[in-house]
Amino acid sequence: MPVLSDKFQNLTTGRLDLTPETRLGLTFLASIFSLVMADSLSLGIILSASVIYLMLEIRLKVVLIVYLVFLGMATTAAFGLWLLGFWIEAMKNQPARLAVLPFVRVLISLNTVLPLALHTQLSSLTLTLNRIYVPGIIKLPFLIIVRFIPTFINDVQQLREAVAIRFCGHSGVVFWLRRPRLWWRVYFMPLVVRLIRSADELALAAELKGLSASTDFGTAPLVLGPVDKMVLVLSVTVITIATLVGKYKAGG
Amino acid sequence: MKGLSNFRAKVKDILDGQRLFSTHELVVVGIFAAGSRATTLMVALIGGGMNPLTMVVRSAVHSALLVVLLAKVSRTGALTMANLVGGLLAFFLMGQAMVALPAIIAGTLAVEILIRALGGLEKRPALGALAVALSEFFTRMINVGVSYLTFREQPAMIIMVLVITAVSYFGILLGLFGGVSMTRELKHAGLIG
Repeated sequence: MPVLSDKFQNLTTGRLDLTPETRLGLTFLASIFSLVMADSLSLGIILSASVIYLMLEIRLKVVLIVYLVFLGMATTAAFGLWLLGFWIEAMKNQPARLAVLPFVRVLISLNTVLPLALHTQLSSLTLTLNRIYVPGIIKLPFLIIVRFIPTFINDVQQLREAVAIRFCGHSGVVFWLRRPRLWWRVYFMPLVVRLIRSADELALAAELKGLSASTDFGTAPLVLGPVDKMVLVLSVTVITIATLVGKYKAGG
Repeated sequence: MKGLSNFRAKVKDILDGQRLFSTHELVVVGIFAAGSRATTLMVALIGGGMNPLTMVVRSAVHSALLVVLLAKVSRTGALTMANLVGGLLAFFLMGQAMVALPAIIAGTLAVEILIRALGGLEKRPALGALAVALSEFFTRMINVGVSYLTFREQPAMIIMVLVITAVSYFGILLGLFGGVSMTRELKHAGLIG
């Protein structure tokens, strides 16, 4: 049975052997501090650190593709802003340096979340959720989500083929644009029926196996390797330096 | 100390036991959250992220699924669970969702309390659509707040975010109708109790 991370195996380098907690911590630190900081130099320091981290974790090809997509989205947003500039006076005389900062924040967040998303395997995720005391009623649905998404994508493909057979090959965007109501009936409705069916089946299977929110999925003590410690110390150092730089610039 | 450990054991019993939700309900919540995320992702991939049509369809699908979920699991707390689990997934896909998550949970809980005061989903399942409409409204407002923090150097960006939010909320309202009619049909088919 495919699990998400199995498909991502060839996207990562595996150069850094980190525990999921370290990656989670880095993502958390990056998203908090990139929101708090307002100075361009400190954000620049954090950005370069996060790019180094990303390069160590993810294959260059994947990084390039993700950055291209990001560039496309940022260009669309910038174009929208440029259009809005005709109506709003405050927008016109803004320094370019400030205009870039928002995108830098998003990019920092993206840089740290990619390794987390592509590296995490279902088994290690279970252990991590146990270690950070996620209660059973959240853990069980969450694990089901991660496990179920590939199956669901499979379902959608089957439905798509069925629709293509019945409506002489019209199944894609054209069909959706031309007959939205029919799309809802022949495409979305069966999908929901399918969802409910598989929910009932999976729930029955889980109950028969004695699986519930109180099931102990097993724990293992958290072992931080030398690489983890080094990365954590380095990231705290980088954040401290960035904060100090921001303070110094604001003060003098 | 004994009191504290007793309290912890009690909390653990409530959170891990079957008292709040049965396994069946948890599985249903998980699967609907997965379905909603995956469909919205797929619609976004097919139609491109930033065009208004895709956004309307995406949120319509999302809210229709939530309405069906609330019809299937008609209990106080089901909506909060769905948002919580979906938010956790969003965090793994996009880091900044973590900042918004506590506020989203608080907003959804407030909506649940309101619904409870109006009679509760158990007695009046028709309130599900109202619950979805209100909680999505709160969630969107909180997300606008978070994006204000991200984009605070560009005030015009917030206006754009507001326009996008309004468009996608229109989709949510459309989806409510779809969800309600779908629920009726599913009940007729015997798939929802």
